Amino acid sequence: MAKSEKPEQPIDFEQALAELEAIVKQLEQGNLSLEKSLELFGRGVELAKLCKKRLSEAELRVSQLVKEQEGLFREVPFEEEPED
Amino acid sequence: MSVRSDFRSRKVYSVSEVNRLVAGMLADYFYDIWVRGEVSNLKHYPSGHLYFSLKDEGSQIQAVCFRSSAQLLKFRLEDGLEVICHGRLEVYQPTGKYQIVLDQIEPAGLGALQKAFEQLKRKLAKEGLFDDARKRPLPKLPRVLGIVTSPAGAAIHDMLKTLRLHKARLKVLLFPVQVQGEGAAEQIAEGITVLADRQDVDVIIVGRGGGSIEDLWPFNEEIVARAIAASKKPVVSGVGHETDFTIADFVADVRAATPTAAAQLVARGWTEAEERLEELVPRVRELVEERLLDMEQRLSELVRHRAFELVRARLAEQRHRLEIGVARAEAGLKAVLNGAASHWLELHNRLTAQNPVERLMRQKTRLVGLASGLQTGIGRQLSVVNSRLASAMGRLDGLSPLSSLKRGYSICQKRDGSVVTRIGQVTVGDDVRVRVSDGNLECEVRGFEKQDIGG
Repeated sequence: MAKSEKPEQPIDFEQALAELEAIVKQLEQGNLSLEKSLELFGRGVELAKLCKKRLSEAELRVSQLVKEQEGLFREVPFEEEPED
Repeated sequence: MSVRSDFRSRKVYSVSEVNRLVAGMLADYFYDIWVRGEVSNLKHYPSGHLYFSLKDEGSQIQAVCFRSSAQLLKFRLEDGLEVICHGRLEVYQPTGKYQIVLDQIEPAGLGALQKAFEQLKRKLAKEGLFDDARKRPLPKLPRVLGIVTSPAGAAIHDMLKTLRLHKARLKVLLFPVQVQGEGAAEQIAEGITVLADRQDVDVIIVGRGGGSIEDLWPFNEEIVARAIAASKKPVVSGVGHETDFTIADFVADVRAATPTAAAQLVARGWTEAEERLEELVPRVRELVEERLLDMEQRLSELVRHRAFELVRARLAEQRHRLEIGVARAEAGLKAVLNGAASHWLELHNRLTAQNPVERLMRQKTRLVGLASGLQTGIGRQLSVVNSRLASAMGRLDGLSPLSSLKRGYSICQKRDGSVVTRIGQVTVGDDVRVRVSDGNLECEVRGFEKQDIGG
């Protein structure tokens, strides 16, 4: 059940961007059929949307490692000291 | 004699007493002296103490540097090195030999730290730790950035600010350390190792804000250099200001001038990715539109091409010929059809000739013909009768009342046309018509007079 709820393994931002670049390169070469061009265009728009979504989702998170015992660390949120 | 005579009053010291006295005097007078000399016969003891001789052209003196001071040395002591040392004189009472106990040693000429820096730099360079071939590229879009620095310094603040400014979509994992003073180098080295060994960390920044050469010193320590060199993840150094170069900078995969610059380098991929995305999307659209336009143009060019003119001309000719052909075919067909039609008509006629209805019609026609013939015959007979009748009527005319009227008789008629022959037929006031030979008189009965005629 839980498996079917999850969609396909989401494509990573870097991959999506790389694929988008590849599409542009292909289109720039210009020897594609019109159908193929339009197909790539569609895929490109899809990828761009995906990338933008990823960009809007991600934000800077900051945590620090605190030593529990020798060789063992715990991750805790890092609160920046206010600047004077 | 006097020596002997003084025998009782002589003061005799034990050996230990002498050494103790000398030790005390030396300690009193030479507790804070600077000595310049050349290091020779250097021995590192397992305890961490250093033993060597300081010498010049004519003399030498035993020197010792105990572990507590030895480990604070910023450079490696070696034979032949000209040094300036600080310390105190001490008598080693078991042997009665004196030595100088050093708490500071600096290379003469260069500053101590400078000397140490040069030494370590030379050594690590020799090992190839600074080689370009060792330098790894930074990940373009790191997801986890490890930072080794002070949690309270300006550096972490600047770095986080820069990362946010450049919209770096990543997680920062800070390994908080002391960045100056005793133990700082060890902490920094541990931080690098711990972060580098974590699976999630993609890249590490090690650094601190500006300070004196002593403040920056941990980043010139061999232990830090070794940790950077051994790191499994690329390391960016960002120590002090633009003009500060540390050993860490040479070993790091990328040297950034400042902590802020280091953060920029790490965030750059994200910034560029966003910019690239902004370019790529319209570019895709542009390219497809270009392609469509290009195809349209090629198509219209092709259509206008001379070759097509020829084809068109040929097409026109073909069409013309086709039209002629069609016309001919039509004519031919018509002829054939006409032939067929006349043939059909003939057949039809022959067929209808056999038709009973047709026969009846024909007989009817004959009948009509007969009838009309009959009529004509009758007509003729009738006209004969008519003329005979007319002559008979002429002859009868003399007998008509009309001729009597001509002779002066008249006929009186009532309005209903009945002829008045007796008085009793009318009353006074009745309109009557009196017919004379050439017309009628319209009259009113004004009175009447009965006449008895013969009767």
